[in-house]
Amino acid sequence: MTQIARRKYYRKLRRDFDQWSWVTLLVTLFVGVPLLFIFFKLFGGAGESWGHMVKYLLPKYLTNTLLLSLICMVLTITMGVSAAWLSTRYHFPLRKSLEWLNILPLALPSYITAYAYAGIFDYGGSLQLLLQGLSLSIPKIDIMNVNGLAFVLSVSLYPYVYVACRAFFLYQSQNLIETAQVLGDSRAQRFFRLILPMARPAIVGGFILVLMEVLNDFGAAKYYGVNTFTTGIFKAWYGYREPETAVYLAALLLVIIFALILLEQWQRKRKRYHFAGKSQKKLARLEVPRGRSWGYTLIVAIPAILGFLIPVAQLIYWAVLSFHNTQWADLFTAIFQSVAIGAIAAAACVFFAILLLFTSQWNALSGVRTVSRFGALGYAIPGAVIAVGVYMPSLVVDKWIIGVVKDLFSVKIGLLLTGTATALVYAYVVRFLAVAFNPLAAGQQKMSASLSEASYLLGWGRLRTFWKLEFPLLRSAILSAFILVFIDVMKELPLTLILKPNHIQTLAVEAYQYASDERIIEAAWPALVLVLSGTIPVIFLNRLVRNE
Amino acid sequence: MMKYSFLFALSMLMLFGCQNNTQHSNEEGDTTTDEQVVNVYTHRHYDVDQQLFAQFEEETGIKVNVTNANADELIQRMKAEGEESPADVLITVDAGRLAGAKNDGLLQSVESEVLESTIPAKLIDVDKQWFGLTKRARVIVYSKDRVQPEQLSSYAALADEEWNKKVLIRSSNNIYNQSLMASIIANLGEETARAWAAGVVENMARNPKGNDRDQVKAVAAGEGDLAVVNTYYIGRMLNSEDPEELKAGEQVSIFFPDQEGNGTHINISGAGVAKHAPNKENAVRFIEFLASKEAQQVFAQANYEYPVHPEVAPAELLQSWGEFKEDDLPLSTLGENNKLANLIFDAAGWE
Repeated sequence: MTQIARRKYYRKLRRDFDQWSWVTLLVTLFVGVPLLFIFFKLFGGAGESWGHMVKYLLPKYLTNTLLLSLICMVLTITMGVSAAWLSTRYHFPLRKSLEWLNILPLALPSYITAYAYAGIFDYGGSLQLLLQGLSLSIPKIDIMNVNGLAFVLSVSLYPYVYVACRAFFLYQSQNLIETAQVLGDSRAQRFFRLILPMARPAIVGGFILVLMEVLNDFGAAKYYGVNTFTTGIFKAWYGYREPETAVYLAALLLVIIFALILLEQWQRKRKRYHFAGKSQKKLARLEVPRGRSWGYTLIVAIPAILGFLIPVAQLIYWAVLSFHNTQWADLFTAIFQSVAIGAIAAAACVFFAILLLFTSQWNALSGVRTVSRFGALGYAIPGAVIAVGVYMPSLVVDKWIIGVVKDLFSVKIGLLLTGTATALVYAYVVRFLAVAFNPLAAGQQKMSASLSEASYLLGWGRLRTFWKLEFPLLRSAILSAFILVFIDVMKELPLTLILKPNHIQTLAVEAYQYASDERIIEAAWPALVLVLSGTIPVIFLNRLVRNE
Repeated sequence: MMKYSFLFALSMLMLFGCQNNTQHSNEEGDTTTDEQVVNVYTHRHYDVDQQLFAQFEEETGIKVNVTNANADELIQRMKAEGEESPADVLITVDAGRLAGAKNDGLLQSVESEVLESTIPAKLIDVDKQWFGLTKRARVIVYSKDRVQPEQLSSYAALADEEWNKKVLIRSSNNIYNQSLMASIIANLGEETARAWAAGVVENMARNPKGNDRDQVKAVAAGEGDLAVVNTYYIGRMLNSEDPEELKAGEQVSIFFPDQEGNGTHINISGAGVAKHAPNKENAVRFIEFLASKEAQQVFAQANYEYPVHPEVAPAELLQSWGEFKEDDLPLSTLGENNKLANLIFDAAGWE
C-alpha cells in the first residue's frame, strides 16, 4: 500500500515538476545561500577566541539582548496599541494628523534617534539648556545604558505595532463590539476581555517586526555602549579578526530567533482565531466627552512626539550649528549614491519577489511551494549575519573565477563580487525580499483568480497573462513594495558597513562615521536628509493605502 | 523568466563589476600609458588630508585615488582582495591597527633614507613596514575645581584607592584603550596590567560609555574627577561649534602622566605600503611627501595632533600645554600586545 502510494507520489512528482518548479527552487536557493553557508561553516569549528567569548562576554550579550527585547515588548505594545485603539475608536482634536504622524518614526533609522537622544540628555545637552532657561534643575538622566537604549528603540519602532493593530481595529472589531454590546459588557470589559485578546495575532505580528529590528540594531547599541549579539558579531569579526567566531555567534542568534517564532506559534496553536469573513464594516468612531478629548489627543501624540518630533528637532538644531562646516559636495555624492543603490536594490527585490510569488504558484507541487517560503526568511536575520553569509561565499566564488580566468587566458582580473555593489545589492535582496513579497502577495490575493483563469482559457500563456493582465493590475502593490524596500535600504547600516564598496558612500554610513568619529554635530545633515528621504515616501505610501 | 533573471544578473555584474575592473586596468595600464597613480586606502577623513593629496598631485603629477573607510573594514578588505588588491598605501590611526595589518601580511618593508632620517625610530615599525605621520598623547584630564595637579602622577595611580568612583574612561572596545593597555603590559608586565585593569574598573565613576569627548563632559558635569583622553579631542572641544562642548573643554586641564617614569603613552596615525602595491614607487614617494616639512606643517595646524618631523613645531594650543616626556616604547609593541590587552580587559570586566 505504501509502496503504491510512494510510486504514485513519484509519478506525480515527475509529471508536475516543471520549469516553474525549477525557477522557484533556484530563486529560493539563490537567496538561501548565505544561510546555508553559515550552517555549513559551523562544522568548520569556532575561532580560538570562542571559548573566551563564551566565558566572559556571552552571558552579557544574552542578558542585554533579552532585557532589551522585554522592555521593548512592553513599551512598543503599550504605545502602539493605545495609539491605534484611541485613534480608530474615538473622535478627538488633531486625530487625522496624528494618524500619520504615528507612522513617521519609521522614517528615522533607530541609530539616528539614538544619537539625537544622546545629545538631548548629554551634559550641556538640549534638555539641560531648556531646564536652565526655565531655571529648573533636575539630576542628570543617564540614557546611555540598556534601559535608555530600550526606550530609544521603542519610540522608534512602536509604529510596527501601531500599523498592524490599526488595520485590525479598523476592519475587524466592529462585529466583535456589537456582539459584546448585546451581551452587556462594559466598555472597559469589552476592550480588555475581548478586543485585546482577539488582536493578539496583529499585536504579535507587529511586535515580531519590532523584535527583528531590535536584534538587528548595531548603530544605536554601539553608540550607547551596550553589548548585544550584533555588536558581538562585529567585535569577533573586526576586533578578534575571527570570522569563524562571528559565524558561531550569528548561528546562536538565529537559533534564538527561530525558537521565539516557534514558541509563539506553538502557544497560539491551541487558540484559534476566526473572524466573520472579511468584514468591510469600518469601525464607527465615538465622541469623547468634552473635558477629556484633549487628554486623548495627548495619549496618542506622546509616542509621535517622542519618536519623531523631538529627535528631528535635535537634528535640526545640530544642522544649524554645523551649517558652515558641512562638506556639501560629499553630502550630495552620498545622496546620489544612496538613492541610486536604494532604487537598484528595491527594483531587484521587487523583481525577485514577483518571480518567486508567481512561479511558486504556477508550479503544481505544494512541496516546492512550502520550500519557497524560506526565501522570505531573510528579514528575520540581522544584517550583520547576512553580511557574514554573503561576504565569505562571494570571496570563494571570486577566487575561483580569478583562478579559472588566469588558467584559461593568463589574464589577471580583479574581484568581481566581493566588495562590489553586486554583492551589496545581492545582500539587500536576501535581507529585504520579504518586505517586497508581502505587499505583492496581498495585492495578488485581492485579484480574483477567475481573472487569470479566464485568460488561460482564452489561450494566453502564463507569461503573456502576467504581462498583459496581472502586472498592470498589481501596479500599486508593486509601487508600495518598491517604496518599502527603498526606505529600508536607505536606512540599513550593519550590512552596508561590512559589504559597502569603498568608492560608494551612503548617507547612513556617512552619519555613522561622523558619529563614531565623535563629530556628532556634523552627522546632522546626512541624518536629516535620510529622515526626509524616508518621510516623503511614508506620507506618499499612506496616501496610496488610504486611496484604495 | 530564467533568461531574464540571467540577463539581469549579467547586467548587474557588468554595471558594478566594471567599476572595480576599470580601476584595475588603470593601474595595469600604468606602464604603457603615462598616467601615474597611487591608490590610497585611508581611515582619516579630514579636509586637510584632501588638501595635502591635491598638493601632492600638483607637485608630482601622480593622481591620488582615495578610498575612505573605517580602518578595520579597510584591513579586512585588503585581506580579502589579497594579491588582487589595488591598494598602494594604507593610512590609519593607531599603531595597534597598523601592526594588525602587518601581522595579516598586508604591508611590505620599505627602504627610505628620507623617512628614516625624519621620523623618530620608535615611531617606525621594526621591519619598516609602517611609519608614523602624526602623534597624539593619551593623557589624564582633571577637573580644574576639584583636583590639584600635584595629586596626579601616573597611569598606574588611576587604580589607587584615592580615585575610587572618580575615574572616567571609555569602553575597552576602543583601540586607544587597547593600545594604552598594550603599553602597560610591555612596561610593567602582564600581572601588573591585570591588577591595574581590575583596579581601574573598581575606580570607575560609571560603566564605560560614550567616546572620549563624553568623558570630558562628564568631568565638567562632576560625574567624576579624572578622565583619560587623547590630546586632540581637547583641542577639538576648545574649538567646537557647540558652545556647550567649548564650556566643558574649558573646565578641565591636561596632565601628562608618567613624567617620572616611562613617559606619557603616545600613539600615531601612520602609513604603510601595501604588500601587493601595483605602484610601489609612487606609494613610497607619497608617504615621503606626507612626512616632508611642508606637509607636516599642514598636519600640525589642522587637527591638534603633534607633527613627527622634528623641525616642525606643533600648533600654538598644543605648545601652551607644554613639553612632555614621551614613552619611548617602540610602537610595534602595541600591536604585539593587542590581543592580550583585549583578553585582559574582558577578564577584568572592563566593558
